[in-house]
Amino acid sequence: MKTRRLTTCALLTAIALTIFVAEAQIPLPVPVPGMKLGLANIVTVYAMFALGPADTLLIFLSRIVLGAMFAGLNTFPYSLAGGMSCYLIMLLLRKLVSEKQLWVCGAVSSIFHNLGQVGMAILITGTPKLVVYLVMLLPAGIVAGVFTGLAAQFLLARLKKGGIR
Amino acid sequence: MKLKHLMSGLLALSLLAGCTGGIAPSPTPSVSQEMEAHNKDTFAMDTLMSFTAYGPQGQAAVETAAKEVVKLDQLLSVTGEDSEVWALNHAQGQPTVMGEDALALLTAAQALGRATDGALDVTLYPLVKAWGFTTGSYQIPGKDTIAALLENTGYDEIAIDGDTVTLPQGMEVDFGALAKGYAGEKCVKLLREQGVTSAILRLSGNIQTIGAKPDGSPWRIAIRDPESINNSDYLGVLELVDQAAVTSGNYERYFEYDGVRYCHIMDPSTGAPTQNPLTSVTIVGPSGTACDGLSTALFVMGRDRALEYWRSAGGFEVILVEQDKNVWITPGLADQFSLKDGLGYTLNILEE
Amino acid sequence: MKKPSNRFWALLLGGILLLCVAAGVYLYTRPAPTVGPVAIISLDGEIYDTIDLGAVEEEYTFTVTGKIGLTNDIEVAPGKIRVCRADCPDQICVGQGWLDTDFIPIACLPNTLVIQVVDGEGSGIDSMVG
Repeated sequence: MKTRRLTTCALLTAIALTIFVAEAQIPLPVPVPGMKLGLANIVTVYAMFALGPADTLLIFLSRIVLGAMFAGLNTFPYSLAGGMSCYLIMLLLRKLVSEKQLWVCGAVSSIFHNLGQVGMAILITGTPKLVVYLVMLLPAGIVAGVFTGLAAQFLLARLKKGGIR
Repeated sequence: MKLKHLMSGLLALSLLAGCTGGIAPSPTPSVSQEMEAHNKDTFAMDTLMSFTAYGPQGQAAVETAAKEVVKLDQLLSVTGEDSEVWALNHAQGQPTVMGEDALALLTAAQALGRATDGALDVTLYPLVKAWGFTTGSYQIPGKDTIAALLENTGYDEIAIDGDTVTLPQGMEVDFGALAKGYAGEKCVKLLREQGVTSAILRLSGNIQTIGAKPDGSPWRIAIRDPESINNSDYLGVLELVDQAAVTSGNYERYFEYDGVRYCHIMDPSTGAPTQNPLTSVTIVGPSGTACDGLSTALFVMGRDRALEYWRSAGGFEVILVEQDKNVWITPGLADQFSLKDGLGYTLNILEE
Repeated sequence: MKKPSNRFWALLLGGILLLCVAAGVYLYTRPAPTVGPVAIISLDGEIYDTIDLGAVEEEYTFTVTGKIGLTNDIEVAPGKIRVCRADCPDQICVGQGWLDTDFIPIACLPNTLVIQVVDGEGSGIDSMVG
């Protein structure tokens, strides 16, 4: 079981990282700092419901740290703050949403990702006014989050049906 | 269920915190409806003028003021062919009937010219032209040219008889050093007549204030740092109530040749751009016209003569800025002025 | 524990969306600064420079270098300011274009650079002479 768990985590981390790096190549229609599709969140949401909090944290942190190697260390504090608040809210969401409501988890966790990111940006830059970014980040995050959540939802259902878990 | 409520509550709270923070990035002063700001921007006298008046009469008042400066611009323009000044300058020595505003300015110009011992002279326009300040194609005229043009200057030779003014042949008057100050002063009168008790009028380098800000605090006027890139920084802040402030500086319009800076402020005694260590002169006083004229005159005088004049004449306050980054301020203004840190200026308070 | 229905979540998320749109509309339609706009440039959490954009007559550019060594070229023009070149990886700050209102600040988060434009009163100054 131990090997299986390690392999699953490694595999999911690799997938998340691939998505993360690939996503960084997609240009954004509106240049807003911190705005992105957040497709790697599919893996996190899936892991949270399929594997549980401990494994998810492992995958998540590995992805953020390894991601920093590709995206550069400069944005690491923002990713970490966003990621951690996203992870924490998912712990709560796990109790609040069913496996058929992962789209909610995707949307709400992306909201908290944005809150964490902007919070960190305000701390680092000393500019409280950056909260206005939320006006654009949140709607975009909700829309993208619903889709990544749905993707995780379908993934979970299919894999369950196929007996792979 | 409890958790659900807590969750939604938390989410709503955090969002509200975010959004309200966004909505009010800078705290809006709690100005009551009656003291609302009314703004009007106008382009006149080759510059953007911006008027702000507070209170219910504000809007009508700033509109009137804007119309007034446009009217004054048309009357006093030295280049507009239908202006009174143009008519006077092209009268070929014949008497010309002038309006109330032009007469007031001519009288003020003569009074200031006499008071400053000729440091302010409104008849230097031919020299300003010869140096290229009117067109921007700058040149250094020959000594003979300057001497010949100087022959035709002298504010005292303007003959005013009632509403009729006669200039000697070849003389040209230009109110460039006074018009904005006069316009500001006149607008202040108009605003007061309409019951405005709090207003700020920005006429390029000239500021006129009425009363204090609606919250009772003084107006905060920044004084430009003559050394800053593109004149975008300020060297200190002046707090004003019910006063005018005018700055003349060598950085406003100038050209450089062989390492020498030639600024647009003409020295009537030499017929050439003023050369002295001053970089800017700010005058604070009740009359915009006087402040405007004196800022030019004291710039021409240089520090020592300027201070001598201030001691003997009085009635106004001065801030002088010199090339060596010394700032000289009269004692009456010292409490109202604060120097900006980090620019390397030294503040010196003058003695009475 | 009964889990909230889809309807509850949809309403909650929809509500947040609406709130943001409303806030955006409010911010966007707010009157522009009445007193000459002032740009505040901050780097590494400290104010690096303030520029009275209303007083700028000719365009000029300058370079700022952050603590970690990244640089941004900032271009200033009458009434507006932008980042015209940056060596950060995402180039979002450049993409944000010209800033002339206090609507939304420009940020280059990799370099901890923030440029905001405030009403002249934000700097406590009502006007400038000279």
